[in-house]
Amino acid sequence: MDLHEQPTQPFGSNNEMDGEPDALTQPIVQSPLPEAVNRSASPAPSANNHFSRRALFAGLAGGVTVALAGGVALAEWEQQSGNPSTDSGTLAPGTQRQIGHLLRKTGFGVTAADLTTYSALGYSGTVDRLLNYNQVSDTVLEQLLSARSLDLTKARNQPQWWLLRMVYTQRPLLEKMTLFWHGVLTSNYQKVGGPTLYQRMIVQNNFLRAHAFDTFDNILLGITSDPAMLFYLDLTRSHKNAPNENYARELMELFTLGLGHYSQQDVEAAAAALTGWHVKGGTYEAQYNPHDHADRELTFLGHTGNLNYKDVIAILANHPATPWFIARKLFTFFAYENPSNEDLQPLVDAYTQNKHSIGAMMRALLLSSQFSSVKAYRSRIKSPTEFVVGSYRALGTKSSGKELPTQTYLLGQTLFSPPNVAGWPGDKVSSLWLNSGTWMSRLNYINLMLTGGRTAGVTYKPLDIQSIVDTQHIATPVAFVAYFASFLLDGNITADRTSQLVDYFTTPDPVSRKGHVTLANGTSYPLSKVRGTLYLMLAAPEYQLN
Amino acid sequence: MKLSRRAMIRDGMLVVSAGMVMPAVFSRGVASARALTQEGSRVAQVSNDHTLIVVQMAGGNDGLNTVVPYTDSTYHKLRPTIGLTEDKVLRLDDRLGLHPNLSALKGIWDKGELAIVEGVGYPHSSLSHFQAMDIWQTLDMSGNGSEGWLGKLVSGFVDKDGHPFQAMNIGTQTAQALASISTPIPTLPSVQSYRLSKDVAEHDGGDARLQALMKLYNTYPRSSPFAALLDTTATNARDGGQQLQQADAAYHPAVTYPTDSFSLGLKTLAETIVQGLGLRVGYITLGGFDTHANQTTIHQNLMKTLSDGLSAFYRDLELHGKADNVIVMTWSEFGRRVEENGSLGTDHGTAAPMFVLGKGVKHGLFGEPPDLTSLDIDGNLKYTVDFRSVYATVLERWMGASSKDVLGGTYPIQNFLPAL
Repeated sequence: MDLHEQPTQPFGSNNEMDGEPDALTQPIVQSPLPEAVNRSASPAPSANNHFSRRALFAGLAGGVTVALAGGVALAEWEQQSGNPSTDSGTLAPGTQRQIGHLLRKTGFGVTAADLTTYSALGYSGTVDRLLNYNQVSDTVLEQLLSARSLDLTKARNQPQWWLLRMVYTQRPLLEKMTLFWHGVLTSNYQKVGGPTLYQRMIVQNNFLRAHAFDTFDNILLGITSDPAMLFYLDLTRSHKNAPNENYARELMELFTLGLGHYSQQDVEAAAAALTGWHVKGGTYEAQYNPHDHADRELTFLGHTGNLNYKDVIAILANHPATPWFIARKLFTFFAYENPSNEDLQPLVDAYTQNKHSIGAMMRALLLSSQFSSVKAYRSRIKSPTEFVVGSYRALGTKSSGKELPTQTYLLGQTLFSPPNVAGWPGDKVSSLWLNSGTWMSRLNYINLMLTGGRTAGVTYKPLDIQSIVDTQHIATPVAFVAYFASFLLDGNITADRTSQLVDYFTTPDPVSRKGHVTLANGTSYPLSKVRGTLYLMLAAPEYQLN
Repeated sequence: MKLSRRAMIRDGMLVVSAGMVMPAVFSRGVASARALTQEGSRVAQVSNDHTLIVVQMAGGNDGLNTVVPYTDSTYHKLRPTIGLTEDKVLRLDDRLGLHPNLSALKGIWDKGELAIVEGVGYPHSSLSHFQAMDIWQTLDMSGNGSEGWLGKLVSGFVDKDGHPFQAMNIGTQTAQALASISTPIPTLPSVQSYRLSKDVAEHDGGDARLQALMKLYNTYPRSSPFAALLDTTATNARDGGQQLQQADAAYHPAVTYPTDSFSLGLKTLAETIVQGLGLRVGYITLGGFDTHANQTTIHQNLMKTLSDGLSAFYRDLELHGKADNVIVMTWSEFGRRVEENGSLGTDHGTAAPMFVLGKGVKHGLFGEPPDLTSLDIDGNLKYTVDFRSVYATVLERWMGASSKDVLGGTYPIQNFLPAL
C-alpha cells in the first residue's frame, strides 16, 4: 500500500487544510550563518577514468619495474604472496575474511564477540539476520539511549544520538542503510526552519530508518512530504502561481534519474505538479493543500495531464533510468566504485520484479558474486563515520558519546550537515575522504583511544591492554597480533606485516614510562611498544579501507 | 615477485625511485604520469614566486546583488522586493554599485587594487550545481572531468626545496579544482588539527612509532587499491605537519581576524605565506549561496563574511610586507535568475562577476556587462566572458604558467593583469 493513500493526512495529521498553510503566515526563523560550518562543496569527480593506465606506461623508460595499478591486480599479488582463497577471484565462503568483509560493508565492523556470533551463522545466515532485522532485538540500544535522555531539539545532540545508535545497535545494516539514505535523500539541519525546529532532522532520520528497505515509491513519497526536506529544498515555499524549481530539479538529478534524462521544461512542469505540500509552521508535520496545487495541464517526461506529486513520483519510480540510477548508488556505497552494467543488472532486475523494493535490491547485492569478490575486498576508503564508529566499537571504548561528532567532523563528515544537496562526495568516490589532514585526524583518534586523554570535554581512559591479554590468555607477541587482527583486519594479515608488528612489539624500551604488559607466558614488554603495536595496526593502510 | 620500492604505478600514479634520472619537474619524486607520455610538452612550468588564492563561493552566488546594476530599470522591475536600490549600494560608477556589506572590498577598490570581471560564464551553461561546479573545476564541459585545473598546475610545479605546501586546501575535503592524479594536496581545517599526537609512554616523542608506521605504508603492496594515495598522503602529512607546526610557533597575525571559519581559514593561508612555506596556490570555500528563498538576510551575511575575511587577510599580508606577490580570485558555479521567484529568493542562473584583488591587478571593470533585457529562454543572462579566459589570464600573467598546457586550449587574455 502506498504511503499516501490519503494524501492530505500523510502522517496521521487530523488538521484539514483551510486556507493558507501556517508556514506562509508565520515567519520562519532562518538558518544560522552559513559560515558556522565552512561548507565545502566540491562535487565528486567523474566515475570515469579518462585514461588507460596500461596505455600510459607502455613507453616508460627501461630499467624500471612496473606493476599494474588498482584493484585489478590485487588477485595477482595475493597469489604471488601466497595468500589463500583468491584463486577464483572470490573470498572463500564462510571464512573469517568473508564475514569480516560483509560486516564492514553492511555495518561498522566487528568486535571479537560479533565475530563469534556471526561466524556461527555462516554467510547467508548473516545476510538473513542483517536483512530480517525486525527479528533481532535492539532493546539494549533503546534502553541505553533512553538512559542518556538526549535533548534532540539541540543540533549538537543529534549526531551523538545517531553515532551511539551505530555503536550499540544489533541491527547494523539498518543503521548503515539509514546512513546511505541520509547521503542520498539528504537535508541539512542548518536549513530546516531554524533553531527551534532542528528536530525535523530526527523526524527525517526516523522516516529513513523506518522505510530503509521499503519500495522506492514509498520512500520518494515520504521524503517529498518530509518537513525537513520540504524546507531544505524549498518545496514548502513553492506555490501554484510561483512554483519553486529547487526540489523538482534535485528530485530528478540527484534522487531518481540523473542528468541527461530530463529537460529544463521537465523541471518546470515537475515544479508546478509538486506544488501543494507545505510544512505546518513551527511543527514537525507537513500537510497537503489542494488549493495551493497548480491545477492545470502539464507535460512531464512525456506524460500529459493535470499532474500532482503522486503522478510525478509514479512517473519517476517507473522511469527506466531509475533502477539503474539507484542500483549504481547502492552498489557504489556498499560494494565498489565504477560498477559495470553487468554488475548492476541483478539489482535492476530485483527492482523491477519486486515492486521497486529496495530490500530486494539489497538482498540481490549481498548475495551476488561481485559483493564477495576480491575486487570488492577493501575496495573503498573507510568513511569518517565508519572509521570512528568501527574503531570505537572494536576497542570497546566507553564514553558518553558527546565527543563522537567532533571526531567525525575532524575526519571530514558531520552527520545531519552534509556539504550540499548531493550529500558527501566521498560516498561516491571514497578516495575523497582521505587527505593529509583527515589522515592525521584518524591516527590521532586512535592514539586518543589507546593512550587516553581529553577531547571535546570528554575524558578517555587508556585502553586496559593488560586485562585483554589476561582474559584472552595471550601468550606471545604473535598471538597478540593475531588476536587483534582477527576482528580489526578480518584475520587477513600477511606474514610480512605480522613480522613488522612483532619486531616493533619486541623492541626494547629501557625508559618505558608507563610500565609493562605481561603476557600469559610470563614475559613482560614495555607498554609503549605493546600499545604502539596496536596503534600501528589501526593506523596501517589496511585499516583505512573498507 | 619483488618490486623495487620506488618505481611503480598505483591508482593511476607513478611513483619514481629516488635514484632514477628524471626531468627536473619531477624532483619531488612523485611524477605526473600523463606528463611522461607527452614527451616534449611543456608542463605548466612556473617561473616566478607568485601566489594565487582561490575563493569558491559554493551554491551559486547572486552576481546581480553582489555587483549591482542599480541604475538598470529592468533590474528593479524584475526584482521588486530583493533588488538593491541606489541609496543602499556602494557606488562604483554611474552604472554599478557593490552590495552594502562589501564595504571592506570597496575600500580595496578605492585603493585601486580590485578588478571586477563582468558577465563570466560558459556556453550552454548547466543549471545543475554539480555539473556547473565540475565544469568550472575540471574544464570538462560534459561535467565528467576528474582532474582539476589547479591540480594540473600544481602537479607541474618545480620546487627544488620540496615544499609540501606548494598548494594548500582549507577544509576537510580537497576541492575538485585541486584534484590531481599525481599530487595529493595538503588539506586541513586548522593548524591545530594538523599534527600527529604522541603516546606519553614513549620517551622518544613518537619517532620510533612513526618510523615503523611509515614502513608499513612504504611496504604496503603497491598493487593494492589506494596504495599510492595512502603512501603519498602519509608522507605528505608527516613532512607538512612538522613544517606547519614550526611555522605556527613563529607567526603572529598583524590584524584581528573575524572569528568565523572562513576567516580563520584565510588566516592559516596567510600564515603559510608570511612564514615562507612556499605556498603557490591556496584554496578556500565559503558555502551557503544557494538562496532560493528569503535571500536578503542570508546573502547579506555571506557578503559580510566574504568581504571582512578577505580584507583582514589582505591587511595581514600588507602589514607583514607580503602582499605584493599575492592575488585573490573568487568564483561561483553560476549566478542566479534575473527575476526573483515567489519565495523572496532566486533560482539557478548563469553568468556572474568575478573579483580579482591584489596589488598586482589592474583596477577597474573588465569584460562586458550582460544585457538584462536580452535573456535566454530560461530568463537567464547571456554570458559575455568565458571563465577559461579568466583562468588563462591568471595562469599566463600571474603564475607564469602555460595556460594552453593547463587548460588544454587557448583562450583570450583579459586585461585585469599586466603582462609579466
